[in-house]
Amino acid sequence: MLRYVVRRLVMLLGIVVVISIGSFYLIHLLPGDPAAVILGTGDTPANRAILYKQLGLDRPMVVQYFIWLRNILHGNFGISFISQTSVASTIRAALPIDLELIALSQILAFAAAIPLAMRSARKPDGIVDRILGAGSFTLLSIPPFIIIVLLVLVISIKLGISNTGPSSYVSFGTDWIVNLESLTLPAFTLAIGSFVLYYRVLRSDLIATLQEEFITVARSKGISRRRIMWRHAFRPSSVALLGSAGVNIGGLLASGFVVEYLLAIPGLGYTLIAAINASDYLLVQGIVLVVSVGVVVINFLFDFVINIVDPRISRE
Amino acid sequence: MSEVPLLEVRELSVTFETAGGPLPAVSGVSFTVGPNETLGIVGESGSGKTVLARSIMGLQPRARVTTTGSVRLNGSETVGASETELRRLWSTEVAMIFQDPMTALNPVMRVGKQIDETLRVRLGMSRPAAKARAIELLEMVGIPSPAQRYNAYPGQLSGGMRQRVVIAAALACTPKLLLADEPTTGLDVTIQAQILNLLDDLKDRLHMSVVLITHDLGVVATRTSHLAVMYAGRIVEFGATRDVFAHHRMPYTRALLESSPRVANPSHTRLAAIPGRPPNLLTLGEGCAFAPRCAYANDRCHVERPPLSAPDAAGHSFACWNPLSEESR
Amino acid sequence: MSESLNELGVLERPEASTPLGWLFWVCVGWLTLNVLAAIFANVLPLVDPLYQNYNVVNAGPSLHHLLGTDDLGRDIFSRIVFGSRVSIAVGVGAMLIGFGIGAPLGMLAAYRRGRFDTIVTTVMYVFLAFPAIVAVIAVLSFWTPRSLLKIILVIGLASVPLVYRVIRTATMAIATKDFVIAAKVQGATDRRILIKELLPNIAPIGVSFLLIGIATVVTLEGALAFLGLSVNPPTPSWGNMINESRTVMSQNPWLVLFPSLALCLFLLCLNFIGDRLRSHFDVTEVKL
Ligand SMILES: Nc1ncnc2c1ncn2[C@@H]1O[C@H](COP(=O)(O)OP(=O)(O)O)[C@@H](O)[C@H]1O
Ligand code: SF4
Ligand SMILES: [Mg+2]
Repeated sequence: MLRYVVRRLVMLLGIVVVISIGSFYLIHLLPGDPAAVILGTGDTPANRAILYKQLGLDRPMVVQYFIWLRNILHGNFGISFISQTSVASTIRAALPIDLELIALSQILAFAAAIPLAMRSARKPDGIVDRILGAGSFTLLSIPPFIIIVLLVLVISIKLGISNTGPSSYVSFGTDWIVNLESLTLPAFTLAIGSFVLYYRVLRSDLIATLQEEFITVARSKGISRRRIMWRHAFRPSSVALLGSAGVNIGGLLASGFVVEYLLAIPGLGYTLIAAINASDYLLVQGIVLVVSVGVVVINFLFDFVINIVDPRISRE
Repeated sequence: MSEVPLLEVRELSVTFETAGGPLPAVSGVSFTVGPNETLGIVGESGSGKTVLARSIMGLQPRARVTTTGSVRLNGSETVGASETELRRLWSTEVAMIFQDPMTALNPVMRVGKQIDETLRVRLGMSRPAAKARAIELLEMVGIPSPAQRYNAYPGQLSGGMRQRVVIAAALACTPKLLLADEPTTGLDVTIQAQILNLLDDLKDRLHMSVVLITHDLGVVATRTSHLAVMYAGRIVEFGATRDVFAHHRMPYTRALLESSPRVANPSHTRLAAIPGRPPNLLTLGEGCAFAPRCAYANDRCHVERPPLSAPDAAGHSFACWNPLSEESR
Repeated sequence: MSESLNELGVLERPEASTPLGWLFWVCVGWLTLNVLAAIFANVLPLVDPLYQNYNVVNAGPSLHHLLGTDDLGRDIFSRIVFGSRVSIAVGVGAMLIGFGIGAPLGMLAAYRRGRFDTIVTTVMYVFLAFPAIVAVIAVLSFWTPRSLLKIILVIGLASVPLVYRVIRTATMAIATKDFVIAAKVQGATDRRILIKELLPNIAPIGVSFLLIGIATVVTLEGALAFLGLSVNPPTPSWGNMINESRTVMSQNPWLVLFPSLALCLFLLCLNFIGDRLRSHFDVTEVKL
């Protein structure tokens, strides 16, 4: 177990290094003089001097990378010359919104997917299973940006339910009820995509697990069907479920960006798109780095949890 | 078998609907097992032993299976009973040890939990009481340092240890009848003997009746009071174990004996394998199922199936048109 | 072995492969229609998708404008047909790149094993750990000005590790089968084995994954367009049509509904065909 964790940690570190190089290099994808583009309207000699010092732009590329890396490791993502605020503080303000949104959506998705997958797996190809199968397959083909647009059209515009439309977001601390109301549609939208994935993965894994001999053995002990489903079948199957949840994080982020953008919820996605449109490249770079590393770390944590759930994996 | 039988199987037949047509895995099987009795069931692989055991339990999946006849467990009918009714019998009246200890345990659940959940669910024991009892059970089945093993996952135990855990779980609620389906097939020879002796010992201590299923006559020779020989889903010879060994009448039983390593004369190093293959159950004809492989077969054998004879004074019966006489043995 | 087991009735006789069903062919028909319309959009009797007719703004469906007009008086039907070009080009183009690089690498790695496999697989897995979507957004936002070609290239490259993994796994399953080993023993060249033995067996899995991959890329392009990171307006694409319609959603819901419907139907057909092919060929795989 320990060896496994160490090996995974080394891999994690390697991936983070690659991500950092990639994020660093983004600036150099910009056409022409990066300083001119980064500074944008703030291209004064004074700012230019600060930027050159900050990024070491007159030094060789490798040196620039290490200067940049040292800054990042000190939590210094630079000052945006467009908005005149520190990139780190902007990110810190936006990040919790994404975390809340993702957490809400995942609670909804699991709450729906687990019981429905169990229901389907109890009678595969039964009427309930077929309906759920067709329904989830259809949902699979509706992109999140269409779901959110349609939800807004129906719920906020046609039905006029307050605090669900664009720009209704307030922070949890200000008014938690309005906060939750404003996050309902986005969380629901994100939940649909996750639900479809979790439902399908868990259903097929449960069907396979329920064929196992140890399930028959458990039945032969006189244990209730419900207990067998939760204690004996769900736990081995939850490995597949957690695995898919880990993989899902990337897709979830993209959907998150879309709903934030549409509803003007000031999370990382909204901030990112706004920064792209304002050519605020340092901010874009910072968000890309934080989000990528975040996803990789979350995946690592999922792996770790999977290991605890299923002791077979780390023993291999 | 004078008292009320603990297990009474009457004309039990189990037929699977398969893509190739109906497959009669068990046909017209009848026998009884009394209290504290041990019945051996032997037969080649594929002769229907597992299907029989599962059908007695009522564990056979219902879809695409037709089960007829009757199984009475301590008076309760299990054929056609609902799972709710069966659940009351499982663990307390009857328990089963499954063929493969590698797949019989949940790989992601600590072995101790798999024993004490039975105690808690079926006997309503408290968590600590169940744990204490589970550790006792682990000790009873001969697992060293049971308190530590309680927390092990199945993957951390050897095959023999796993089978002991399976046995401990099956015996948790001291069932009156234990069905042991090839409990030692997957294990190596020295472990096999240990497990079988353990079962023998536990049977006496817990006053259980046991149905011991095996493909190996050596296993049942000294451990059972009665013996049923199965072929192609039917019982073809039945009697007191000593009788069946000494006075078997059915050519198939003889072939089994000759192919059994520990029963056949040890000085003969080469074993006589039973020639030919077990029959295809999908295309069984009218005659004796053993006829294609039988050295004694005549025309009648191919067209008419021999019924199981009425038991003689010693309770010995067999199904054969040309039974072996004392000389031909 | 399996034959004798079968005689014993141990194995159920493999059923004839699951039929594709009429719905499958409906989907194939719809996709074909979509693709043909996209290819021949220029020669079809369609209104110019950029032509703004201020006399009919936000009109509902009518004979003149089958699906109505948008807030600038542009014909929605025509814009949907022209918009499909972007989706289809990105979907197909990106997957061609992804498969063009990922599939041969995956096959070779699975067939050769050894050092080559270890190195390529490690590199691919590092990239797999990357959130590809974030990388795509990042590169597209820096690598300006955006063009259709860049979008295709970036998404295509981002899909390589995924394609690699699928193809490698599929190849490994087949490379260990008897007939491949037999071919090796008989001295067939690697090239011959790869092309004659492995490719035909992997192709079905590859095709179904390709279709589902195209659906995923089309969705991604839609999301990018929605975020303003795909082709720039006024060039229509399904994603940016939906995005632009948001502002006038309450007056003219058609503007949202029609491109959404076009996109969803397109995706549904792709997913359905891919899924059907997979279950259809799964059985074939068992039969090997
Ligand atoms: N679920 C099933 N569906 C179809 N046939 C089955 C099924 N289970 C068992 N069989 C068939 O029933 C016969 C008896 O099997 P089994 O009881 O497992 O034999 P044994 O335990 O004596 O080796 C075999 O021919 C087997 O193929
Ligand atoms: S009935 Fe005939 S074929 Fe069957 S065992 Fe007896 S002699 Fe052999
Ligand atoms: Mg068996």
